[in-house]
Amino acid sequence: MGKTVLIVDDSNTMRKIVSRSLRQAGIDFSQILEAGDGQEALDVLAGNKVDVVLSDINMPNMTGLEFLKAKAEDDAIKDIPVIMISTETGADIIDEAKSYGAKGAIKKPFTPDLINETLGPLL
Amino acid sequence: MKYAQDIADATQEIFSSMVMLEVTPGEPLKRADNKLVDSISGIIGLAGTIKGMLAIHLPNQAALAITTAFLGMDVDEIDEDVCDAIGELANMLGGSMKTILDPGGSNVQLSMPSAIHGEEYAVDCLADAELVTVPFSFNGQTFMVELQISETN
Repeated sequence: MGKTVLIVDDSNTMRKIVSRSLRQAGIDFSQILEAGDGQEALDVLAGNKVDVVLSDINMPNMTGLEFLKAKAEDDAIKDIPVIMISTETGADIIDEAKSYGAKGAIKKPFTPDLINETLGPLL
Repeated sequence: MKYAQDIADATQEIFSSMVMLEVTPGEPLKRADNKLVDSISGIIGLAGTIKGMLAIHLPNQAALAITTAFLGMDVDEIDEDVCDAIGELANMLGGSMKTILDPGGSNVQLSMPSAIHGEEYAVDCLADAELVTVPFSFNGQTFMVELQISETN
């Protein structure tokens, strides 16, 4: 059965590119949900069964790191794996994301193969 | 010219992997006339030990062609989708250049990307900034990627 993925990015363009890359990676997703910032992502997670989240870090309203912190405090959603997709992949920020529960990071620009390699073990 | 090759490499990688377009860099230059006509610019600011900005300047027709390739759908006017796509290109270029300017990742911060467009405008940054501009071409179209930075140690 196909999985459900949530893409979190304030850029509509980037949400489309990530969605296209998921299809090109050949991963069997039955549903691709989208959110424009961390708060919208929490709202989506509250109302949907999501298998994995791909999240940007730098977003207005609620950043990717703030989203991770809020998610970690909610027992109902804290175990849903999150991969960060960002231009920001310095060791400091990735270590901070992992300390809040992120399972990995993908640097923009990325290829479908890299998406597959990173997401595959989580599904 | 300092950072010109890095700009060329980062731009080619981003266009090849994300936009599915092969772009060819030209000789780096120092843009003497900063006036841009019928164009759109994606801009991202840098702060910290290196201050300044990175910008991608595209004539409208080049921006439409790139956004069409980026999104995989026809785009025929400069609208919200084009501004978002060009802003995201600036964001990725800024991220790639940050990796070079600040390998440790903690001394330089990036702003949120923005995009501006118009019939005639200018983009200026710091008066004492080092400036390098790399022109690119693809399918008969051209655009420029420009780095303006001031390094403080």
